[in-house]
Amino acid sequence: MKKAGPAVLSMSVALGLLYVFLYAPICYVIYTSFAADIVWPFPPSFTLSAYSDLFSSSLYGEALSNSLKLAAGSATISTLLAGAGAIGILRFRSRYRTVALLTFVAPLFVADLLIGISVLAFNARVLGLPGNLLSAMAANAVQGTSFGFLIILAQLVRYNWDMDDAAMVFGAKPFRCFIEITLPTIWPSLFGAYLISFILAFNNLEISFYNLGAIATLPSVAWGSLRFGLGPELFALATLVNGFVFVVFAVMYLLMKSGMVKFGYRGQ
Amino acid sequence: MNGMSLRAAARRRPGLLFAALVAPGAVFITIGLLLPLLSIVVFSFWRTESYELYADWSLNNYFTLLSEAAYRIFFLRSLVTAVLVTLVCLICGWPVAYVIARYGGRYRLLLVLLLAAPFFTGIILRIAALQALLGPIGLINMALSIIGLNPIEALMYTQLASGLGLVYLFVPFMVTAIYLSLVNFNFELLEVAKINGARPWRAFVEITWPLNWIGTAIGMILVFIPCLANAVTPRFLGGPNATSFGMSLSQQFGETGTWALGSAMGVFLFLASLLAILCIAPTIHLKRSGFTGMAL
Repeated sequence: MKKAGPAVLSMSVALGLLYVFLYAPICYVIYTSFAADIVWPFPPSFTLSAYSDLFSSSLYGEALSNSLKLAAGSATISTLLAGAGAIGILRFRSRYRTVALLTFVAPLFVADLLIGISVLAFNARVLGLPGNLLSAMAANAVQGTSFGFLIILAQLVRYNWDMDDAAMVFGAKPFRCFIEITLPTIWPSLFGAYLISFILAFNNLEISFYNLGAIATLPSVAWGSLRFGLGPELFALATLVNGFVFVVFAVMYLLMKSGMVKFGYRGQ
Repeated sequence: MNGMSLRAAARRRPGLLFAALVAPGAVFITIGLLLPLLSIVVFSFWRTESYELYADWSLNNYFTLLSEAAYRIFFLRSLVTAVLVTLVCLICGWPVAYVIARYGGRYRLLLVLLLAAPFFTGIILRIAALQALLGPIGLINMALSIIGLNPIEALMYTQLASGLGLVYLFVPFMVTAIYLSLVNFNFELLEVAKINGARPWRAFVEITWPLNWIGTAIGMILVFIPCLANAVTPRFLGGPNATSFGMSLSQQFGETGTWALGSAMGVFLFLASLLAILCIAPTIHLKRSGFTGMAL
C-alpha cells in the first residue's frame, strides 16, 4: 500500500462528494417516506401511512402489475437476443463481426425520447398497430438488448471455448454442447443481463410512455403525480423501487464475484 | 466421421452458426430502431392537419424549424446545456473513476457498482428525490427558512437546476465508461514515467489521458446524447424559460399532435447526435488505447 499523497487524498474527497451528491437525495427520500410530515420531517415522527396509501391505491396497483409484465417480457427478449448475439460474435469468426457488434450497441447511442417517438410513429402509421404492452415491450427490448449484450460480452471475453470445441469434436451437437458445457459456466452473466434489462424496462419512462397507449406503468403514474408536486406516495414508491434496485445490484455483485472466480479457473 | 469431413464441417459451420446466433438480435434491432428512424425521416417531409398525417412531400417542416426563432432558441439552449453538463460530468468523473480503478483494491467493483446503481431507479423517481432535497419545499430551502435565511433562488425552477438535474442523472455513465477504460490500463507505465523523471501531471497528460481516451470519448457521447434530447428535467426542475428542444419535440407528439413537425425535429436531433459521434469517433484509436476487451 502506497502512502496517500495530496492528489490521492483530494481524489478520494471527490469520490466521497460524488457519493453524497448521488445518495443524499435517495437517503432523504427513504427517511421522509416514513415521516408523518413530508415537508419538514423533524423532529422525527414515524408512520407507515404513505405506504398504506400506496398499497391501497388501485392506480398504483395496476401500474405495478403492468410494469412487471412489461419488464419481464422485455428482459426475456433482451436476454435471449443479447446472449445469442454475444456468443455468436465471440465464438465464431466472420467478416460481419464488426457490423454485428456495432448493430448490437447502436441503440445505446440513440436517446430514449427518439426511440420512443420513432417507434410510436412507425407502429402507428406504418404497421397500423395501437400502443399496448407488447409494443412497449418490444421498444424497451431494443435498448435492453444493447445493455444485456455489453454485460454478457464483458463477462464472456474471458471464457475459454476450448472445452466447447472439444465437446463438438467428440460429436456433441451445438445445442447439447451449449446446455452441458457453456450454460453452467455463463449463467451468471445471462442472469445479470436479465436483471439489468428488467429494471431498465421497469423504470423506463420515455420509451414506454409513447408506446403504451392509455396503459399506466409506475414511471408514468409517478410522472403524472409529480406534475402536481411531491406527494407522500411518491416518497414511498421511490423508497420501494430503490430498495428493489439495490437488492438486484447486491445479487449482481455476488454473481460477478462468484462468476469471476469461475472464469478464473477456465482462463489462462 | 473421417478427418476430411470433420475439417470441412468445421470450416463451413462457423459462418452458419454465427449467422444463426447473431441474426435474430441484429434483425430485431434493425426493425426496432432503424426502420422507425427511417419512418420519421419520411414523415418529416409530410404534413399534419388536425392530428392526421398527409403524404404531401415538402420541406416545410424543416423551413419552420430553421426560420422560427423559438426552435432555434430551444435547440441552442439544449446544445449549450448538453455541452456544459458533459464537461461537468467529465471533470467530476475522471478523478472518481481514477481513484476507484487505481486505489480501490478489492473494493473497486463494489465502489463502481454503487455509483452505477442510482441510474437504474429511473428518471422520474430520481428527479422526485432531487426535488425533495433542493426544491422550493425541499429539505435545504425549508431548513434555510426555519433559521430565517432566504431560500437559494438559483435552485428553484431555473436552468441551473435543470442542468444540475442532468448531471445527477447521467454522471454514472461517465464514471463507468472511464472506469472500464482505466481497469484495462497498465498503471506500471506511470512508474516507468516516474523513474524516467516525469512529473505526475506530465505523466497524466502524456500517458494516462491519451491511453484512456476511449473511455473518456464513450463517456462523453453517452452523457451528451441523452442531455441533448432531454425533455424531463426542464419540465420539473427548470422554470418557464427552460423549455428544451426535446420538451418541444415531445409536445409535437403529445399535446399539439403535429407529428410531421415533430418528426423533422426528431431527424434534426438524430443528425445532431450523429454529428457528435462522427466528431469523436475518428479520435479513438483502439490499438493505441491498449483495448483488450472489457473487464469489470
